[in-house]
Amino acid sequence: MVLILEANALTKSYGDTHALAGVDLTIQAGEAVAIMGASGSGKTTLLHVLAGILAPDGGSVTLHATQPPLVISELGDAARSQLRREAFGFVFQQGLLIPELTAVENVALPLMLNGVPRAEAEQRAAAWLGALGLGGMEQRRIGQLSGGQAQRVAVARAQVIEPAVVFADEPTGALDSATSSDVMDALLGTTSARGRTLVVVTHDEGIAARCGRIVRLRDGRVVETRSKVADMEYIEGETR
Amino acid sequence: MKLLSVARLLARPAASGTATMVLPIVAFGVSTALLLTTLAGALSFFRWHGETGFLYQVLAILASALLIVPLASLGGSAARLSARRRDDRLATLRLLGATTGFVARLTVLESMVLALVGALGGTVLYLALTPLVGLIPFRGEPIGAAALLLNPLIVAGVIVGIGLLAGISAVVGLRGVIVSPLGVRTKQAAPRMRWMRVVFGAIVLGIAVFSVSHPGLFGGVAVFIVMLVVAFVAANAVLGLAGPFVIRLFASSALRRASTPQRLLAARTTLESPKAAWRQVSGVSMTSFVAVFAGSALATASSVSAGEMDAQSRVLLTDLRTGVYITLAISFLMVACSVGVSQASAILDRRDLYVSLDRLGMPVTTMNAARVRAVLSPLRIVAIGSAVCAAALVLPLAGISMVLAPVSMLTIAASIVAGILVVWLAAAATRPVLRRVLAEPAKLAE
Ligand SMILES: Nc1ncnc2c1ncn2[C@@H]1O[C@H](COP(=O)(O)OP(=O)(O)O)[C@@H](O)[C@H]1O
Ligand SMILES: [Mg+2]
Repeated sequence: MVLILEANALTKSYGDTHALAGVDLTIQAGEAVAIMGASGSGKTTLLHVLAGILAPDGGSVTLHATQPPLVISELGDAARSQLRREAFGFVFQQGLLIPELTAVENVALPLMLNGVPRAEAEQRAAAWLGALGLGGMEQRRIGQLSGGQAQRVAVARAQVIEPAVVFADEPTGALDSATSSDVMDALLGTTSARGRTLVVVTHDEGIAARCGRIVRLRDGRVVETRSKVADMEYIEGETR
Repeated sequence: MKLLSVARLLARPAASGTATMVLPIVAFGVSTALLLTTLAGALSFFRWHGETGFLYQVLAILASALLIVPLASLGGSAARLSARRRDDRLATLRLLGATTGFVARLTVLESMVLALVGALGGTVLYLALTPLVGLIPFRGEPIGAAALLLNPLIVAGVIVGIGLLAGISAVVGLRGVIVSPLGVRTKQAAPRMRWMRVVFGAIVLGIAVFSVSHPGLFGGVAVFIVMLVVAFVAANAVLGLAGPFVIRLFASSALRRASTPQRLLAARTTLESPKAAWRQVSGVSMTSFVAVFAGSALATASSVSAGEMDAQSRVLLTDLRTGVYITLAISFLMVACSVGVSQASAILDRRDLYVSLDRLGMPVTTMNAARVRAVLSPLRIVAIGSAVCAAALVLPLAGISMVLAPVSMLTIAASIVAGILVVWLAAAATRPVLRRVLAEPAKLAE
């Protein structure tokens, strides 16, 4: 296994709230990791620190996808912003796509931000939309898509730059269970199924069960880590 | 009682962020101050009597008429801004079980209160400005602060009127929202302009040009001036109809050519609502108009050599110039305020989107470039397009040599450049708002 992302002794506080109280986590390339926990347990904060959206108060985050490894937690704002657009993909709970742009333009945007010419960016974007079952919807605007379709556009937008890691924060939180499963198919099919890395925050045990590993947080600490192979039965028992 | 207590609860800064409350108040305040100052200036001319007094009064009315457009657009953006506050909490209130009627009353009440607070603040600002504005000379001496004090009844009327207008626009705006209580905006295909409007506009413009170029048909100076006012109003109406259409044409071509994210975003933003883009910069179309008219008028006047002019004419010429510059300056101020206010509110309105783009790694400079471009591209088209339209109107009056005279061209060019600069400054001034939104993503609804 190849290490891709490593977090050591992460802490992050908001006033008196210790959102992260010493989190250690290693993520292997090609893994799908689900982060679970009650509301307020620090899942989003952890995801944001791992992805370089937030700087931790203490501890470090290291990306091993580059040579030499990059200590994300030591980068300044601009460098972290650049890292996010060049190396990471993001899917949020609400697609947060740009309503004025068409589906294909939304997906092409991250490529254009990285300097890819528009025609080529839109071509690659259209290919991703096609791969996610959205062929023919390239010119639709976001308001003309269903929730599940919009979320798949968001998945395409996250994948289009071929990121080292995709981060998703409750990507199915606003969807019904059938649509959730479609979106999760899209997310897993484009990441771990192709050897890419996925970190997903979710409340849904069923969705977490599809990931290779589950990390549970409570009060900003990792209280449990289970790999699928070892805990298949446990997980199934839990969902029943 | 319940209405008031809920209103008070929602008015607490912590409930929704102070900016959403302060911005409409500021916008209403600035609108009120400018309106009262303009009104006071115009009315101060009515102290004078006699033939030249009448001329001054006509010119004052003309200048005020020109300022109605940017003022209306500033007032409109203030009203829309306070209406936006509603969308955030409407869903919550409805989910808490508030009836539609209750929510409606609350919204109208709130809009009116914000407008009244702003109007009162604007009145104070107007009073504070009178000593300064009073320094402006007309007829060879400063107007004086005293001459600018409006009858308290007029001031009260303006304040009440602004409160009522805000209430009415809130009622009108509510109709669209209550239909979908969750306030989920589903943006469908970009709206299309109707060809009919443009044809209609062209006909009106033709009539206006004809009536201005044949003053003899109607006879009498007073009638001529009335015709001039009508031509202004008509031309403005035409611009209002054609403006969004032309903006859409240009934005479509910009969209095809867009090679960077900011160009793409700006073109799409403009296409989303050419009308909104027009509204934001339409005040400048009037300044372009004024600049062309004034430039030609000044060129015509100065073509008469100073020696041949009597003292009275010389004073009149100076005052004409002063009046032109004041009108231009006030309209620039109004446009700048309305651009600043609507840009700030657009950022707050879409804070979750901006935060998400920041998380994706879009540089803040790109976001700002897209925003500024979305204002400036329509502005350029509008400023230049309006100047061309105005020249078409002026040509039959003053002749080509006057339109192309150095004084004239200089006034026109300076006005357009100044207008664009002021608007750019106003748009750029909202950068801190975006920076603050990105620095406090905590307020983002999870
Ligand atoms: N920007 C912030 N300001 C203040 N407190 C915050 C902020 N973000 C998160 N918190 C607090 O930190 C804790 C962890 O939050 P979060 O990571 O969002 O949890 P989760 O995603 O698991 O629901 C919560 O108690 C939350 O209230
Ligand atoms: Mg969360």
